[in-house]
Parts: sequence; C-alpha cells; structure tokens
Amino acid sequence: MALQVENVTFAYTKGGRPVLQEVSARFEKDRITVLTGASGCGKSTLLYLMAGIYPNDTGFLRGGQVRLDGENPSAWTPPERCAHVGMMFQNPELQFCMDTVENELIFCLENRQVPPGEIPGRMDGALEFCGISALKKRTLLSLSGGERQKVMLACVTALQSQWLLLDEPFANVDEKSAAEIAGKLRRLHKERGVGIVAVDHRLDHWLAAADEIRVMEEGKIDPQGYPVGSLSPDWLEKKGIVVPGRLYREPLLPRKGGEIALSLRDVSITLGEKPIARELSARFACGQVHALLGESGCGKSTLFGAITGTVPYGGEICAGGYSLKKRRRLPVGLLGLVTQNPQDQFVFDTVYDEVYKSLLAKGEQQAAETAQRILRENQLWRYRELSPYMLSQGQQRRLGVAALTAYDCRVLLCDEPTYAQDRRNTIAILEGLVRQVEEKGLCLIFSTHDRMLAESYADQIWHMEGGKLYAQTGSRV
Amino acid sequence: MRKLDPACKFIALLVPTFFLAAKPNALWNLAVFAVCFLLLFFSRVRLRLIVGIYAPVFLMAAAMFMTGYRFPSDSSSLPVNAASLNITSSAVYNGLLMGSRVLAYAAVGVLFALTTDRIHMVKSFRRHFRLPQSFAYGLLAAWGIFPHMAQEYRRARAALRMRGRKALPVSPAVLKPLLIKSVRWSEELAIAMESKGFSGAAKRTEYLPCRIRVPDLLLLLVGCVVLPVLILCL
Repeated sequence: MALQVENVTFAYTKGGRPVLQEVSARFEKDRITVLTGASGCGKSTLLYLMAGIYPNDTGFLRGGQVRLDGENPSAWTPPERCAHVGMMFQNPELQFCMDTVENELIFCLENRQVPPGEIPGRMDGALEFCGISALKKRTLLSLSGGERQKVMLACVTALQSQWLLLDEPFANVDEKSAAEIAGKLRRLHKERGVGIVAVDHRLDHWLAAADEIRVMEEGKIDPQGYPVGSLSPDWLEKKGIVVPGRLYREPLLPRKGGEIALSLRDVSITLGEKPIARELSARFACGQVHALLGESGCGKSTLFGAITGTVPYGGEICAGGYSLKKRRRLPVGLLGLVTQNPQDQFVFDTVYDEVYKSLLAKGEQQAAETAQRILRENQLWRYRELSPYMLSQGQQRRLGVAALTAYDCRVLLCDEPTYAQDRRNTIAILEGLVRQVEEKGLCLIFSTHDRMLAESYADQIWHMEGGKLYAQTGSRV
Repeated sequence: MRKLDPACKFIALLVPTFFLAAKPNALWNLAVFAVCFLLLFFSRVRLRLIVGIYAPVFLMAAAMFMTGYRFPSDSSSLPVNAASLNITSSAVYNGLLMGSRVLAYAAVGVLFALTTDRIHMVKSFRRHFRLPQSFAYGLLAAWGIFPHMAQEYRRARAALRMRGRKALPVSPAVLKPLLIKSVRWSEELAIAMESKGFSGAAKRTEYLPCRIRVPDLLLLLVGCVVLPVLILCL
C-alpha cells in the first residue's frame, strides 16, 4: 500500500515552465511523511496531484503518472476519491460549506452515502476522537483556526479515508493547538492505519509525530527519505527550511525607544456576544520592534483591526497624539498595516504601482528610482507589469511588505508577516522591516505564532491571553 | 413557524401576496401585517432583531403614507382613474393603502427570513422544487462566504485609507479586490467540497429528509386557498 509518483512533469499553463520536473517518489502507508522545502518549490502542487485534484481542476500533466494504492486518483469521482484520500488545507476559513460543526459532518457523511442510521454514531465517534465533542453545535464562524483544523480532522476521520494529505495544516494555528493536532494525527495513523503525507516548511510541529522527512528543491524531490531528527540544522537552513528551536539570528542589544507612537488605554473589544479584549493598556515606542504572541483566536488580528478601524472598540487608542476614533481627522501616513493575507492590502493595478504610488510624495523621479530599487531587492522587478494578484503567495507577501515599507508611516502593524513563508523569506521580510525601524525610527508591531521569530527580532514581546495583554518579563527592553 | 417545512412556508406566504397586489385593501394589508408580526413575536426571535429590522420598514411605510396622502389619486393627473384601481377618493385612505402595503409585504418577507434555517430551507427547496444538487449546495457554500465579504470590504477600505487613498463605498478600488477574492474563494471552496466527497452528479443519502407533515398542509391550505378566497370575496 503506497502512494507513488512516477516521472511526473506538471505545469499550470499549457506552454509555461513546469512546476514539477520528472518527479518520482514513493510514500509508504505505514509512515507519516513530511514533505518540506523552500516556498515555491512545488510541494503543494505535488500534494494536489497526489490527491487527484490536479490536473482535474487546473494545470497540465505533461508526463508521468500518480498511483494511489495502485490506482489513478484523478480518475475517481469525488465520493470514490474521499474514501481513499482526505485533504486538510492551509486556510481553515475556506474548507466548510455548512454553518455548524454538526451539519458539516452530516454533509460529509451524506456525500459518502453513509446510511442515515449510522450517521450519528460515526459523527460522535469522530468528534470524540478529535476531542471536540463540545464543539458539535457551535457555528464554524465562531471557531478559532486551530478548532477549525480539528473539525477538518474530524471530517476526515468520519469519512474513514485511507490516506490523509495535509497542506501546511499548522500555518494558521498556534503552537499549543498544533501540538495537539499533531498528536491526534499520530493516533489516527497508529490506531486506524491512515497513511499521512504532509507538506510543511516548518518541522518543529512534526518532530514528535512524523517518521520521515522528504525534501523538495526547485521542482525536484530528493530521492532519499530522512528519519526525523537526522537532518542537521545547518543543512536545513541551507535548504531554506525553518529549523526547529533555532533563532533566526543572534539577538542584538535592544534598541532604545523614542517617544510613544501608539498607546492603548482601557481598550475593550466585543465581537457579537464574545469579549475579545478587556481593558487593554499598553504603550509602544518609536524606533522599536514589538512582537505580539498568543494562541490562535486570542484576538491579535482583532486588536489590529481595532487600531486600523475595521473593528469597533471601547476605551482609547492614540497614535502620534491623535485619537483613532476620529479617523477622518487623522493625518495621512500615521498608520500602516501589512495584513495576514497580502491580497487584503493591494490597491493598485500593477506590482510597480503598488510601490511607486506609495512613494509619489517624494517626487516622481525619486519615486521611480526608489520603486525600482525596492522591487529589485525583493526579486519582483521582472513582475512589475503584472497584477499583484497574479504573483505566488510568497511573492505577494514580499510585495505587501515592500509596498508598506515604501510608504512612510509612523506605526507599522504587521499581522503575521511571515505566515506560510520559508526560513529564507522569513528572514528577508523581518530584516527589511527592522531596517525600516532603524532608518525611519518607526514603531513596528508584528504578530506571530513563531516564538523564535519574536525572540530573534523583537525588543519587546507581548502576550495576548484571556483578553489581556502582558509584556513579557525579562523581555529585552 | 420554525418547525414548518420551508418550501411549504414559502409558497403559503408567497401566494397571498399576489392576491394582495391584485386587490388593494388597506384592511387586509394591515391584517396580514398584524398576523405576521404576531407569528414572528411568538417564534422566539430576538426582540432587538425584530426592532432593528422593522425600524426602517416603519420609516418607509410612513414615507409611503405621506406620499399617498399628499398626492391622492386624481384621474386628471394619473394615467389611470381611481375607479379602475378601486381606490377611494379619500386622501387618508390612499396614504393608508400605500403605507400598509409596505408593512404587509415586509412582514411576510421578514417572517420567512427570521423563522427559517438556511440549511433546512435549501434542503427543502432541493427536495420539493427539484433544485440541482450542485446549485443547492453551492448556494449554501456561497452563503458561508458572506460574513467574509463584509469583513473583506472593511479591510479593503482600511487598506486604501492606510495608503492615503480616499474611496467611495462602492468605488471600483474597493470592489475589485472583493471580486477577485470571491473567485478565489469559490475555487478553494469547490476543491474543499470535492475533497469531502461532494459531487453534483453523485447520489447522496439524507440524514434528516424534509418531509411534508399535516401542519405544513394546513398552512398551504390557508395560504393558497382560504386567504385568497377571503381577500377576493371580502
């Protein structure tokens, strides 16, 4: 019983450059395999091919074949396919089509043509296995990223798929939830014999769960599989993979903060009936880097939403001496936001304009020169005529950060700026942001689930927990 | 009202509105509004929600009343005469007729919307109106996107504000990213649904099939026969 890829060459467009070049690999069912590599190396594409989603949905298989337990997965109908292979996606927000956890599981089981009498038993069994029986009646919208991934796991458990393929399942999940989910995956594999192949550029969550690591590089897969823990940190670093437990750089001496750029006083936020933040008070100084850590769903993005005016709040938020409640009177360039999803911040038609038009205040000539320099630094110059939406996710992320850093602002908020990025891009993004802090003296606040990232770059680490914000004691400020 | 079959409820509420339109009568309009309002009130709908929805309805009804009151039907200024529309010459009655019509139609719509579970409704429509499977479940999936759309709209406006750009609420700068994202979301959702075994063509089992029961038939009888006859005769 194995998942086999034989000489597969695949491209997204008919005449375009292949994303996968004669890739051959075999994944055994009795192992949990993690497929890793730098962003854009083709690992997610390979996963979608193995799941039978590609080339049915998109792309061109120019050569080779995929065999799942000896059969071609793209020839199966969806109900046949889900009996063999289940998928768990990176974005937990767009995996469901029903309103509640219970209805979603019923939807899955009805698709699988489970007799109605058996549905309650299978549903409750799956929820219990995933430890989320208490969420059965909850609406999916009210769940955090980690909880949604557990619901997705419950769906796959209920469907009794023979294989489970995961595409960066922990990208939107905090460390505690990631560890829990990894444990459950291990149990699913051991107790029910489900074969698991996961794509992830971070290995730390898999150390206790996976059996084998496979490495991809520029559309090719290393023929050798490595046991977990056998790969040296330096080798991983060279391949652009995030090294578990290793800092991204040696922490430098803390920067001395200037005047207060942003202050929160007794800020309370309630979404629907749910209190997200309760009487938060904090001050963020200019010329410093602040990291905001916290479990998924704890309210980090919501707090950024309150600061930027997309979420209503009580209390007072001031930036540069202005109360943010009176947004119409705010001077331009006070706040900048790099969103979790870079697509949320694109406002112009081309990659070039995203950077150039942010710089126009400096004069056309200087704006053009600076835009070119920034785009070249971020390896985006050759895409300058394209729409930002046509870039890959990693390129979009780099453009998002570049556009906002080009734009002079006093407080720059970054909501998970390194989400789904490999080590190389993570470092490039953070180095770029920190350079802005040092050159322009702005106040940078970024949220992340990656403690090592916070330890490496932040002058002050904040924790958000139970609706409160705590400054980490022993933080370098 | 919540337990009734949505397809039957839909027909039973829709049919009388045609008769109300065909035979304008302020008394009937007000009676329909009162009955719908009472049914809503006893259907465990949050009072705050009812007030929130009805506030603009009342405002519109008042505006229509004033319009009807201020500009009563006048055979010299209107292309039809008052007799053909069965409207009395009283300005107050004319205003009442127009205002009450807003109340009646709004009450019927609000009653259906606030007492119907969307999943139950789509399943019922699929079964009784023979809607294609992919359309019905596609509708449900699209429904799940709406809360994201509202959030994304706010984000798009915030992004423009952050870059010092001002944009009107419906300007292309705000709507374009929303359109692009909706296409991507629909693709991602379609892949997720297929990975859970959904196919527009394949057979599915039904855990809780939508069946028509006696109360549903009674409602149909009242909505499609009793009420129309009464409206036409009285």
